[in-house]
This record gives sequence, structure tokens and C-alpha cells, in this order.
Amino acid sequence: MQLLKQLAPDEFSRRLSQGDMPLRIGPYVYNLQSNLPGVAAGIQTLYPDFRLAGRGDFVDYNVALLCRNTVQRLRGEAEFLFDMKAPFDPIPIGQAYAFLEWGMNWCVSLHTNEYLKLHAAVVSRGESAVIMPGTPGAGKSTLCAALGLSGWRILSDEHAMIPPNTTEVVPLCRPVGLKNESIEVIRSFSADAVLGPVSKETHKGVVAHMKADLQPDSHDTKHLRARAMIFPRYARDEPQQLSPRRRTDSFILAAYHSFNYSLLCETGFEAMKTLIENVDCYDLVYHDLDWAIRAMDGLPFLQGEQ
Amino acid sequence: MTWRTHSKGQLYDANESTVVYFDAYSGDTHLLTDFAGFVVQQLSRQPLTTGELMRAVADSVDSDDILDLEEALTGVLGELVLLDILTRD
Repeated sequence: MQLLKQLAPDEFSRRLSQGDMPLRIGPYVYNLQSNLPGVAAGIQTLYPDFRLAGRGDFVDYNVALLCRNTVQRLRGEAEFLFDMKAPFDPIPIGQAYAFLEWGMNWCVSLHTNEYLKLHAAVVSRGESAVIMPGTPGAGKSTLCAALGLSGWRILSDEHAMIPPNTTEVVPLCRPVGLKNESIEVIRSFSADAVLGPVSKETHKGVVAHMKADLQPDSHDTKHLRARAMIFPRYARDEPQQLSPRRRTDSFILAAYHSFNYSLLCETGFEAMKTLIENVDCYDLVYHDLDWAIRAMDGLPFLQGEQ
Repeated sequence: MTWRTHSKGQLYDANESTVVYFDAYSGDTHLLTDFAGFVVQQLSRQPLTTGELMRAVADSVDSDDILDLEEALTGVLGELVLLDILTRD
């Protein structure tokens, strides 16, 4: 199967501008379109190892980041489009790449309810996955990026997708979104971090994305068994600790972090119950990434896998 | 006075001091004390009078102080009504 990086530069540009860039991302096919050089550069930097879907393959999400007319060009604006409809207001062109990634997240957050979906980073070691739900600013993406640069596989930075009544997680590997200080933290953490375009003055501040498919099996679509749910929290002035937490509390907190728990009603309750009663639950308070990674590496169920 | 749940909800009990209760009537999920969870569980099976509920509670706990149990049950029933999990008639 052809990889994006195997396209000649001219062909890449032509196909992206024409909306003929179907990428296999986890269980989905995203078809991308853009006429913005910054977006093209970001895709080339962050998605070169993603596989192209075939021309007849079903496309789950048609997304575009386009400057559509002269007025937009003069204003320096662009639009995120889903099935050629604009669900959001135009944004400054300088923020286009970040918006493409957020729009791609939005597609999954809003449209897929065959899974219980948590707002969470998901990483794995061997066959064991760890789900890390967290509110924005909790430090889950920074930790996820650092784990990815330390031998862990990144399954997702945004969505834990769990087929109901299983303890499996569906891989959906896409770039990791980093904000503000986290960008320099990760640059300093590893010279191997590959970062895409920097978007400034977004509603989240400065944003850059990190290439996430860093392991040989990053694009495997096989579901992995979740073994732990960890609630990370960056706290500069608190003692670092990885401590067990109660399952019932974790159930409620995970439901809070879910995109569709309430929508799924009984199915959501049963799905969450099955998940929670089969994973170990922890709080992780950290301010040093090396310490946090050692703590994660020391999780009991991983000791047979390393 | 007879107490009943609005729906046959679902309970997740992990043998901790709290339980999770899903109320199919409202779609809400609640974190309850294990005592409140026991009361909800009893009423999910069938409506009970206060006296019947008190006997079920007394049979399940290791306490001789019936006044404490009555006070605790009254408090929990009030909270469960406020959460719209129970109704009384």
C-alpha cells in the first residue's frame, strides 16, 4: 500500500489541492483537501508514513482547509469544511494547520457513536494499553508525547474509542497537539520530536503538533486490551505520585470525560462498567516527565512485557 | 408511605464505600454511598413501605441501634428523593 511520502512533490500538491488525498487513519479514511501551503507543509511533516487509501475505498470524513474566495484571501482567512460545509467561522490562515487537526478531532467526537469515546490520550506497551483521560491543561498530551518519544506507542492523543462491552481500545494514531510551554518542553525532552507548523494566537494559545507514529506498529489497526486508566495531572508544586484510585470514583470521572456516555444511555453504562471493572485505576501527579515515564514503565501489569 | 424507584436502574458495586447508579428514568449516573446503593437496590426490585425498608436495612447491617438506622434511612431517602431517583406515595 502506498505511503503519503511516496508521492512525488508535484503529485502531492496536485492531489491535495484537488481533494484527492484519502489517508487511512486508524479505522477511518480521512480525505484531505487544502490550497494553503502551510497546511500542505504540515501534512507532509506529520503524515508522511500514513497509508493512502485506494480510489474506490469508502471515505469516512471529507475534510478541507481552504481559502475559498478573494474576500477570504484579502482578509487572510480560511475555512474548515466538512463535506464541503463550514461548521465553524473562518479562521486566520496562520492558524489553519491547528484548525485542520482540531477539525479532524471534531469529526470523530461528533459523528461516531459505535464506540464509547473518552477524551483521553491512549498509549501502549506491548499488547497493553493505558487510557489517560484529562481535561485540557492536565498535561495528558505532554505526557503522551514524552511517552511516545520513550518507546511507548501512541494510539491516540484525543480519543479513547472502546467497543461496548469489551476492554479493547481502537487505535486512532494522529499527531499530538501541544500547547504553549509544552512545545518547548517536548523540544527539550527529545531531539527526535518532529513538530509541524506553529499556530499562534489561537483560542488555546500557541499550538504545534508532534508526529505520533513513531513505532513500527503505529499503524496497526488491531485493537489492544486496556489494562489501566490513569488520570494525569501536571502540578509543579505538589509531590509526584502514582496512586491507586477507587473504581467507582474513576467511573464517574471517566463518564465526565466521555464524549458520548450520556448519549449511549444503558449501553454507555454497561460499556463503562465493563471497562472500569477490568482496568487498574490510578491518579498520576507529576511535574517531571522522566519521573512520570519511570512510574508508567513500572506499572505492575507491564513487568512481563518489557 | 410506599417508596419506589422511577426505573429499574443499574448498579455498579465494586465493594468500595461508594457505588455507581444509572437511573434509566433520567439518564443520570450517580455516585452513591453503599448504604444509599443498598436502599436503591431494594426499591429497584419492588416498592416497599418505610417499615419494610427498615426491616431490610436492619437485616443487612450489623447494628443494634435502631434509632441510628432510622435516622440514617430517613436521611438517605430524603437525598434520593432530591436526586429524583425515588418517589413516594
